[in-house]
Amino acid sequence: MISLKNVSKVYPPNVHGLREISLDIAPGEFVSIVGTSGAGKTTLAKMLIAEERPTHGSIRIGGWDITRIRAREIPLLRRQIGVVFQDFKLLPRKTVFENVAFALEVAGEPIRRIREIVPQVLRIVGLEEKMQRYPFQLSGGEQQRVVVARSLAHRPKILLADEPTGNLDTINTHDIIDLLEKINAFGTTIVLVTHNREVVNALRKRVITLADGRVVSDQAHGKYVLS
Amino acid sequence: MFITPLRICKQALQHVGRNVWLSSATVLVLILALVSVNVLVGVNALVERSVRMVEDRVDMTVFFRPDANDAVVSQARFFLESLPQVKSVTLIPPDQALTAFRERHQDDPDVVDALAELDTNPLGATLRLTARQTSDYPFIVETLKNPQFGDAIESKTYDDNAESIHTVEQVAKNVRFVGTLLILIFITIGILIVFNTIRVAIYTQREEIGIMRLVGASSSFIRMPFVLQGLLLALVALVVTSGIVAVGVSWMDPALQPLFDDGQPAGLHQAFFGDWVSLVLLQASGLGVLVGFTSWLAAGKYLRR
Repeated sequence: MISLKNVSKVYPPNVHGLREISLDIAPGEFVSIVGTSGAGKTTLAKMLIAEERPTHGSIRIGGWDITRIRAREIPLLRRQIGVVFQDFKLLPRKTVFENVAFALEVAGEPIRRIREIVPQVLRIVGLEEKMQRYPFQLSGGEQQRVVVARSLAHRPKILLADEPTGNLDTINTHDIIDLLEKINAFGTTIVLVTHNREVVNALRKRVITLADGRVVSDQAHGKYVLS
Repeated sequence: MFITPLRICKQALQHVGRNVWLSSATVLVLILALVSVNVLVGVNALVERSVRMVEDRVDMTVFFRPDANDAVVSQARFFLESLPQVKSVTLIPPDQALTAFRERHQDDPDVVDALAELDTNPLGATLRLTARQTSDYPFIVETLKNPQFGDAIESKTYDDNAESIHTVEQVAKNVRFVGTLLILIFITIGILIVFNTIRVAIYTQREEIGIMRLVGASSSFIRMPFVLQGLLLALVALVVTSGIVAVGVSWMDPALQPLFDDGQPAGLHQAFFGDWVSLVLLQASGLGVLVGFTSWLAAGKYLRR
């Protein structure tokens, strides 16, 4: 599903974001990528959605080589990968329904289909009662659930969550991780980028540990090993 | 097939509706830019009108010798009328010239007595002519040296008026140059103001652009609502400005008329309504291209990957 071969990222003048990273993630896997700040987690996440280009190496997603992806192909890639960020990234002047619908509108989905899908994904995240609210009328946990719903709208094969619980309290963190596990159970590959030790240890799934831009550990049922 | 254009229109309307204050501020700035350019167009029209009034007062009188026969005078008149530089020619026959001379000097006994002494009319025919432009007078003076009638001419007033004609000509030239320069400067300032206003308006929505990009919106899908939004605001500004200008001109044209003692209108009405379609279209296309291009460019800044 996701394959990185000798991927490096060097920022000018000579700052290494990633060094010679090679890894494969199979369809349906739930992978946590952990590491301290500056380890290269977010750089890796940005490369998976073509927000950054690797300086060396190659990246393939679902057989599609996105290493030198053209600008006009990026929207097509992003419609196939659901993305959840720490800072939610919701459109503040759109309602919950409109925020989720927007992801489908940009892909040219007909309105009939949008009216069908949006309530479905909002039901999955438990927000069908708050469809007409604006983001500022929701709690942090609810806003993150809207983002998860939006990322599911395209029924993506991959869901990339970069520090999705970074701004949430323990209860909401637990809810979001439960939600991600539920989505994974439907067959979606989950890539969770986090530095939350409790979350990683509770999951007992594959853990890839990064340090100084390198993969220092890759365990099938790993734990958060960094101090 | 029409889903995307309809969604782009919907997005544009939502941008306007959900950013009411920003939209209002943008419209206000666009109106100020348009009004300032229109004010200068009006001022320029008034200055032009004043210059024209002064120019119209400049004329030249050609005095023929008393013994010049009518055929020669007529020939000179037709020749002058045929010149494109000449606006009008008026013939004053010798009898009429004498009558006018007597009336002018009826209170001067010396002149009256001197005229009574004479058996014949001492005055010849007179041609009074006005040129289309003051700069044409030297050329007309040259043409009067035509051998067919040049010898029959006794004198011309141009030689006396040459200096003042030249002064009027210089003033008119300078006024036109400064007027054009001021309009160009105002347009340039207007362009800069509009450019920055649109950039600020889009800057405030840069995060939204980033999010749109993140959920897979294409560049044109993101850019077009901003372009459309800019064009909508420009249209509102144009309509409001047209209203302000129409009311202003209708009020000011009669109010300024007494400043011109030739009894003609002040000229604002003619300047703005004479060819209002072209004027509105010119401003609409200028503003449209400027706002559309700026919006496209400004939105593009936040579209990089």
